[in-house]
Amino acid sequence: MSSKSINLTLKVWRQPGSKAAGRLETYQADNIPTDASFLEMLDIVNQRLTLAGKEPIAFDHDCREGICGMCGTVVNGRPHGPERETTLCQLHMRHFKDGDTVVIEPYRARAFPVIKDLVMDRSALDQIIMAGGFISVNTGQAAEANSLPVPKDKADLAMDAAACIGCGACIAACPNASAMLFTSAKISQFALLPQGRPEAAKRALAMVACMDGLGFGNCTNHKECEMECPKGISISNIARLNREFIKAALVSQEK
Amino acid sequence: MTWLYRTLSTSVGKKQLMAITGLLFLLFLCTHLLGNLSIYGGPTSFVSYAEHLHALGNLLVAAEVIMALALIIHVITAVVLFFENRAARPIAYNVDKSGGGRTFSSQTMPYTGLLILGFIGVHLATFSHHIVDQTTRNIFLIATDVFSHKGYLAIYLLGVIIVAFHVRHGLWSAFQTVGANHPKYMPFIQKLSIVFAVIVALGFGSLPLVVLSLR
Amino acid sequence: MQLDAKIPAGPLETKWEKNCFDLKLVNPANKRKFEIIVVGTGLAGGSASASLAELGYNVKTFCIQDSPRRAHSIAAQGGINAAKNYPNDGDSVWRLFYDTIKGGDFRSREANVYRLAQVSNLIIDHCVAQGIPFAREYGGLLGNRSFGGAQVSRTFYARGQTGQQLLLGAYSSLMRQVARGQVTMFPRREMLDLVLVDGQARGIVVRNLITGEIERHTAHAVVLATGGYANVFYLSTNGMGCNVTAAFRAYKKGAGFANPCFTQIHPTCIPVHGDYQSKLTLMSESLRNDGRVWVPKQTGDTRRPEEIPEDERDYYLERIYPSFGNLAPRDISSRAAKRMCDEGKGVGPTGRAVYLDFAEAIQRLGQPEIAARYGNLFQMYEKIVAENPYKTPMMIYPASHYAMGGLWVDYNLMSTIPGLFVLGEANFSDHGANRLGASALMQGLADGYFVIPNTINGYLAGSRFAEVTDRHPAFKESVAEVVAKVKRLLSIKGKRTVQDFHRDLGNIMWEYCGMGRTDERLTKARKLVADVKAEFWENVTVPGSRADLNQSLENAGRVADFLEFADILLLDALARRESCGCHFNEAFQTADHEALRDDVNMSHVAVWEYAGEDKEPIFNKEPLVYEFVKLATRSYK
Repeated sequence: MSSKSINLTLKVWRQPGSKAAGRLETYQADNIPTDASFLEMLDIVNQRLTLAGKEPIAFDHDCREGICGMCGTVVNGRPHGPERETTLCQLHMRHFKDGDTVVIEPYRARAFPVIKDLVMDRSALDQIIMAGGFISVNTGQAAEANSLPVPKDKADLAMDAAACIGCGACIAACPNASAMLFTSAKISQFALLPQGRPEAAKRALAMVACMDGLGFGNCTNHKECEMECPKGISISNIARLNREFIKAALVSQEK
Repeated sequence: MTWLYRTLSTSVGKKQLMAITGLLFLLFLCTHLLGNLSIYGGPTSFVSYAEHLHALGNLLVAAEVIMALALIIHVITAVVLFFENRAARPIAYNVDKSGGGRTFSSQTMPYTGLLILGFIGVHLATFSHHIVDQTTRNIFLIATDVFSHKGYLAIYLLGVIIVAFHVRHGLWSAFQTVGANHPKYMPFIQKLSIVFAVIVALGFGSLPLVVLSLR
Repeated sequence: MQLDAKIPAGPLETKWEKNCFDLKLVNPANKRKFEIIVVGTGLAGGSASASLAELGYNVKTFCIQDSPRRAHSIAAQGGINAAKNYPNDGDSVWRLFYDTIKGGDFRSREANVYRLAQVSNLIIDHCVAQGIPFAREYGGLLGNRSFGGAQVSRTFYARGQTGQQLLLGAYSSLMRQVARGQVTMFPRREMLDLVLVDGQARGIVVRNLITGEIERHTAHAVVLATGGYANVFYLSTNGMGCNVTAAFRAYKKGAGFANPCFTQIHPTCIPVHGDYQSKLTLMSESLRNDGRVWVPKQTGDTRRPEEIPEDERDYYLERIYPSFGNLAPRDISSRAAKRMCDEGKGVGPTGRAVYLDFAEAIQRLGQPEIAARYGNLFQMYEKIVAENPYKTPMMIYPASHYAMGGLWVDYNLMSTIPGLFVLGEANFSDHGANRLGASALMQGLADGYFVIPNTINGYLAGSRFAEVTDRHPAFKESVAEVVAKVKRLLSIKGKRTVQDFHRDLGNIMWEYCGMGRTDERLTKARKLVADVKAEFWENVTVPGSRADLNQSLENAGRVADFLEFADILLLDALARRESCGCHFNEAFQTADHEALRDDVNMSHVAVWEYAGEDKEPIFNKEPLVYEFVKLATRSYK
C-alpha cells in the first residue's frame, strides 16, 4: 500500500429535493489518499463541506463491501466508475490521477427519480420483484430439501443470475434505461430451478408487464448492462427471459 | 385475441416483432444477393435470373406483400421504440461513456434504419418492376443506365454500406431477442454478424462495378 | 425487573413442541384483526414479516434503507448450519446443539439453543423451496462444507454469498406479501421511539428519512429485528447504517439489555490503513487453512516481508499453540495478533497488522490450487490493498464483527416489555459469549420463520388490548420527545462533525474495551466516553434541516445513542468477573493466557435496566441452569 495523495476537481450533481432544479457544482478535493475508496473520498469532501458550514453531498451507501447494492452513481459517464465488476464502494482512488476532473451524477432514468443530490428512488426495482420475483411457498410447506435434485450446472447458472445486487447500474448504463438485465436475472434464477417452474409462465408475463409499466426503456441489445454490472451478470439471462416470455405468451394457459 | 395484442405491445413483444421482421429481411438480403450475383455470369445469366424471378408470378407478389408488411411493422415498431427509449431517460448524462458494450452499429440503428428506408424508396423507384417498365428494357440495361448516373451510384454504395452497419448489429441482436443465446453458438453468431455485414457490403457493393464493366 | 425466561419444563427434545401446544392460538378469522409492526428487514425481520403475513396478520414493516433487500445480513459470506447429517459424518440435532452451546462458552440457554438446532433443518427445506441456489454436488443434491472449526460438515452455502441469497429469499417472500397487501412496507424510515400504552408495546415513532416527517404507527405488538451494535467500535465489518438506536430506545422504555459486553472480534480482516477509513472488510476465516500467520521477530522492523529471512520471522500462532497452530479459534488468534502489535511487532504502514503468508502453501500445492481455493478472496484483497497476495503476504488484523449481546428475551422471544419481541442479532438469546461461524444466519431465520410465528399468538390471544390510535397521549409525548432531540442536535452548531465523534468513541472502545480488557482500562474508558459524550452535546455540528433527507442528522442521532450505550457495554464488561468467549478480562486467565470462566458465580445472563437519565443502570441477572450438558473447559494446545 502506498500512502500517496492526489488532488481532484469534482463536479457533483447537487439537487436540493426531488422537485427542485439541480446542477453540477465544482469542488476542489485536495489531498485525497489514493488508498481511500471512492465513498471515503466523498466522506472526506463532506467532512470539509460540513466544517465550512455547507451542506454535505447526499449519497446512498451502506455495506461498503460491494454486496448491498445501495451505492452507485455515475462517475465520468460510467455507473460505479471505470473499473470492471467493481461497485463504487470497492473502487479505490488509486485508479484516478492527480489533477483529474471527476464528474459525479445520479443514475438517469425516468423510473429512478432523484430524491436529493446523488440519492435516487429505486423502488421501481422492488415493484418488479413484487410482480413475480418470488416462489409462492409459505413457511412450513416445504418438502425435505434433498427430495428434488437440481442439476449442478443449472444450480450454478441460477446462482450466477441470483448474484444480482439490485443496484440499478444496468439501467443507468443502458442507453435506453431498460431494466431487462435486472428483470431477467430474477426470472432466470427461478426458471432454471425446478422449484421455480410451476410459476414460470405467470412470473415472466407479470414481471415484464410490471417492468414496462414503470417507465423503463426497451432493450436493444447494446450490452452495456453486462459490461457495467458489478456482478458480471450476462445478457444470456435476457435471452432466457425472452424465451420464457415467448413460451408463456404462446404456449401457456396464462393470459 | 386481446392476449396477442397485449403480448405484442410489451417491450419483449415489440422486440420480437423487430427481430422476426429483421430476420425476414436478412433472409431477403441473402436471396437478393444470391440472385444478383448472377451478374458475374454475364448479362445473359443476369437477365435470365430476373425473368425466372418474374415468372414466379403470384408467388413473387405474395413475397413482396409479406416484405412490405414486414417493413411496415419493422418501421412502426422502431419508431415507437425510439420514442419510448428516449422518454425513459428524460435527463441526459453530462458525461456519457461506454463500458464497451455498444458499438457504432448498435448506437446508430434508428438512424441507419431511417436512411435505409429512404434508400429502399430510391432503390425501388429505380429498379422495381412495379415502377420501372421492364418490358421494353431488360434489367441489365436498366442497371447500366442507373449506375452510370454518378449521383445514384454514390447513393447506392452509401446505402449498401449503411445496410451493412444495420445488419452488423441486427443479425446477432435478432438471435438474442428470440432467445437464441447459447454459450456454444453465440460467439459464432456474433462473428457471423460481422462476416455477413462484410459480405453484404462487398457483395452488393461490387454489383455496379461489374455491371459497369460489362457495359 | 422480572426475568422469567418461561422455559417449558420437561425433556429438552420436547420443550418446543410443548411450548407451542401450551400457548394460546389466534383463530384464522381473528388474525386479520391484529396489526404487527416489524422493524428491520434483515434475515430475522424479513422472514418474520413474511411468515406473520402468511398467517394472516396485518404487518407493517420498516427499514432504514431504500429497499428491504439491503439489510446487512446480505454481507454474510460463509454459510448456514443445519443438522441434516447429509454427509453421514455423525451429525445430529444434539451435536449441533452441543457445539453451539460449547462454542458460546456455556453462557446461553440450553432450551433456546436446542430449539435452534431443531428448526435448523426446516430452514434449509424452506430456503430450497424458495429457490435459493445453494451449492450442489454433481448428483444434484445439496453440498456441505465444514466451517468454523466444527468436526462435521454441516454448513450449507451459496458460493461466498450465502447471506445475500438467504436474505433475497426472505425479501422475495416479503415482497410477495407486500403485493398481496398483507404487509405494508415503509422503507427509509428510522425508528426513534417505542410507544407504550398500559405497559404494552403499542407502536413506534419513526422519522421519514426523505421528508423528515415524524410519523406515528400503532400496532398490537412490535417486533424488533434491528441487528447488532458492533458499530459502537466505529470501525467494524458492519454496514455503515447499522446502529443501536431502535434497541437502545426500547431499552430506555423498559426493555432489559442483556450481556452487552459480548462482542465478537473476527481475526481475519483487512487492516485499517488510514484515519479516513470508514469500515473494515472481512476476509473469510477459511484462509487460515493454508495461510501461515507471522510477524518479524525484531520490533520496529520496517523491511518488506520478502526481505525478512525465515529465521527472523515469528510464526507466533504455531509457536504458542503448537497443536492448533494457525487454526486456533477466533478469540485466541485475535488476542494473539493484538499482543504482537502491542509489542511493536505489527507490520504495515500503521503497525496494526500481521502477515498471513501463502508462500509455503503455494510451494506445496502450486498457485493454481491456491487460486481455485481462495481466488475470489485474493482478488478482493488486491482490489482493496493493491498488493498481489500470491507474491506478497497478506496483511490482516482483527475487527469488530458481531454482537452476541442484545435485548433480553424470554423463550418466546418477548422482551421485558409485554408485546415487544426481539429477533436475530438484536436479541441476546442463542450465542452465549461467542458465536460460531455459520450460526448467525441460522438464528436469524429460525427466529423469523419458525419461532415468532409460533409464539406471538400466545401473547396476542392471551392479552387485552385497549383501543389505541395514533392520537393517544403516549404518542404525542413520544413525538414531542423525538422532535426535541432532533431540534437539539441541529441547534448545537459546534465545530466538530458527527463522524469525528463517532471515530473518537470507536477509538476508545477499541483501545480500552476490545480484545483484552482490564478493570483499570474499562474504568478509564467510562470516563473518556463520558467526556466525548459531553463534548458531543456541546460541540457537534449537524448541517441542514430536519425537513428533508439529512444524513448528518441521521448519523447524529445514532452516534448520540452509541455514546450512551457504550457506557452500559463498559459497565457490563466490568461486572463480568470472569473471562469467557469473546469477553477477556486479563485478570481472569489461566497460566497459558486462556479464558478463565467462573461457573459458580458468573453462570448468568447480565441484564441491564434503565433507571433514568444520567443514572447508573440497574443490574439484574437471569441464572443459567444446565440440566442436560456438563460444563467443560475448551483447550487449544
